[in-house]
This record gives sequence, C-alpha cells and structure tokens, in this order.
Amino acid sequence: MSTRLTKALEFANYRVTLNNQQAQLKAKTQSLLSYSINGGTFTIDLTLITFCKQLINEDQNEVVLLDIYNNPIKIEVDTFYDEILSRYYEVTNDYYAEYEKLRKSRKVHKVLDLNEKGK
Amino acid sequence: MKKESNSRGIVMFAHNNEEIDYFRLAVVNALLIQKNMGIKNITVVTDPHSLSQGEKTLGKRLIKKAINNIVVIQKDKEFKQKNIRLYKDTSHTTKHLPFYNANRCDAYDISPYDETIVIDVDYLILSDTLNHCWGHNNELMMNWKFQDIMYERKDPSLSRLYDMGITMYWATVVYFRKTEYVESFFNIVKHVRSNPQYYKDLYKWQGTLYRNDFSFSIAAHVMSGFVDKGIPQLPTTLYKSFDTDDIHSAVDENTIVMYLEKPRSPGDFMLTKWQGVDLHVMNKWAINRVSEELLEYAKS
Repeated sequence: MSTRLTKALEFANYRVTLNNQQAQLKAKTQSLLSYSINGGTFTIDLTLITFCKQLINEDQNEVVLLDIYNNPIKIEVDTFYDEILSRYYEVTNDYYAEYEKLRKSRKVHKVLDLNEKGK
Repeated sequence: MKKESNSRGIVMFAHNNEEIDYFRLAVVNALLIQKNMGIKNITVVTDPHSLSQGEKTLGKRLIKKAINNIVVIQKDKEFKQKNIRLYKDTSHTTKHLPFYNANRCDAYDISPYDETIVIDVDYLILSDTLNHCWGHNNELMMNWKFQDIMYERKDPSLSRLYDMGITMYWATVVYFRKTEYVESFFNIVKHVRSNPQYYKDLYKWQGTLYRNDFSFSIAAHVMSGFVDKGIPQLPTTLYKSFDTDDIHSAVDENTIVMYLEKPRSPGDFMLTKWQGVDLHVMNKWAINRVSEELLEYAKS
C-alpha cells in the first residue's frame, strides 16, 4: 500500500474515533444536565433557565413547571433557579475543557488519553 | 433483612453457568454502586453454587463489604437446561450456555426496599445518574429507547418483539415503588414467565430463548391498557455495547476503554473511552477479565 493511502486510512480511523469520542462527551454532558426535584426530572437548558429568570423577575415564588414527562411539579423558583444555573455553569465549563482537549488531539491515542503503546 | 422505613436499594440477580461468573460481576458492580451512587443497600439474589464459588474466589470479607443482603434460592433445573443462549466473547468466540433468568419476575417479592432499582450485573454503574429515580412521581420506569455506544451501528431488530410487534422495553434497569399497580405488573410478568408458549404465540417474539425483556415488554403493554410505550422511561438513557465488543482496560472507577467492533468489518475494532455514564456491557468475559482492576478502583 502506498504511503499516501496508508496515511489517508490512518486519518479515517482517527476521524471515526474522534466522532465517537465527541458523541460520548455529549452523552455525558446530557446526563449531567438532568436535574430531579420533588418527584420530577428536568433537563437544564437555555429555555428552562430563561423562563425561571423571567418568573423571578415577575416576583413569582412557588410555581408549577412541567417536567420531561409533562408531569406538573411544584417548585420554589429562587432555589431551583440557583441550583440549575450553577449546575449548567459547572457542566458546560467541563464540557468546553474536554471538548477543546479532544479538538486538539491529532492521534488516536491522544484522543483516548493513552500513551503511544496503548497503555 | 430488617426493613427500614422509606428504604431505597438496588437488587441484582447472579446465577453462574459453566463459564460465566455472574456472582463475581455482581460483587464488582456492587462496589461500583457504593462508590459512584453512594448506595449501601444492595441485595443480590443467587444460588448456593454461585455463592460458594464467589466465597472461594473472592473471600467472604469482600463479599460482605460489597453486598449487605444476599438472598439464596434454589434454581429451577428444568428451566436452566431448557434456556440455552448463544454467548459471544467478540465475534471470534461463541458458545451455547445455559442462561438462568427465571426469577427476575420475583423482584417485587424479594426486594426488601420501598423503592428498588433492579439492574443486570453487567450494567456497570459508572455514575450517580440513577439517583435521579429516588422519590420519583412515576412508580414504575424502564427504558425502551437505547443507544449503542458505537454511534454508527444500528440494529432495528432490538426495537420491537418482532417487526410488526409491540415496542421492546429493556429489563436491564427497572425502577419501581411498592404499590398495588406495580404488584399487578409483576404478576403479569410472572404469568408470562410461567406460560411462555402462550405469550410467544400471542406476541410472536423470535427464537426459543426466554428473555426478561420480552416478559417485561408484554407486562408493560398489558398494564398500560394495551397501549404501546405506556410505561414511562427512566430519566437516563440506556447505553449499551454488544457481546462482539471487548474491554481494553479499566482506567478508574468511572472510566473504561472499550474495543468496539466496526459495523461493516466484523472482527475489526476501534477504541473508545467511556467515562461517567452507566454502561451495559454485554460481553461478560470482558468484564471478568478487567474485574481485578475494577475491584481495586472501587474498593479504594
């Protein structure tokens, strides 16, 4: 096999590994952006954060929100907002750091945090 | 075991066959559960042979440290001899071995807890995500949606009992509270388990193997008023690898590096690092091969 073809195949292998690793990182982030309270589960996203901020601005205290199952859950909005916002910062910052590390890894073993011998 | 008020705990079933040490997997997973979920209430249902094998290889002290409630039952020998499954240790090694899964339907009666999560011993707990279940409004939850960790691989045959059939729920992880509704659900599961031929004809599942996924899916269909996908899913996605995959190494108590078989090139693998998300590892030999490393990480 020519050197050029070998290099191209190596790169293809690297891309497959990288894509899968990025998907894994996304899965981990999604799972960490889940928040359960009062028997309901919420996905922390921009809509939820913004809506809660809006409720606080309107001096709402106890509100009913629909969770991922569309079940109505009563929450105390101030505490809930603080919790989800701090979780959002924490998770997305970690995601950013790990994503950047992945983006800069140009070899399969670096993507996987292994040494060149695969250990 | 003395019952606590509003108790919560994990239940696993571990019955060895000639090749696979399920009890060892249960001990490894119990320690991972303690480490990653902070749960001490762990019940393992096993049989005298699997327990004595575990005591011989792991020692009573380690078993006691990992599991605080062991329930010993006698196996139904006739069922064991009939329920033969094809196990794979990657595509290179395949073996037909007995698969003893007859008592999962008794989880409701066996569990000493008010809230229980039943998990397969090979569903490795690498995070605290399942803690989202405790105190949930839904009294029964299990997944029908799953995601292969090799994102390119798709297997539509795992979505339904047969092509035109009902949606398949995975009995790999089941959360339940002790309520009348859930008791009735498990009664249906038991009925399927005792009358497999009748339900096989009715729901047309493929093959001769009895799987809990089938009986739980049928019970879910019946108990939802014959509506598809009527039982809510767990608040976590079910991630799985296949028995054609292998484990390269365990890096720490929440990270493993996997060999994943490429979809269009059987026997050829790529690597992936899986971290901080629970994972169903179908290749049992692979877990046993890294069990020493996992035990060390989980114990420390």
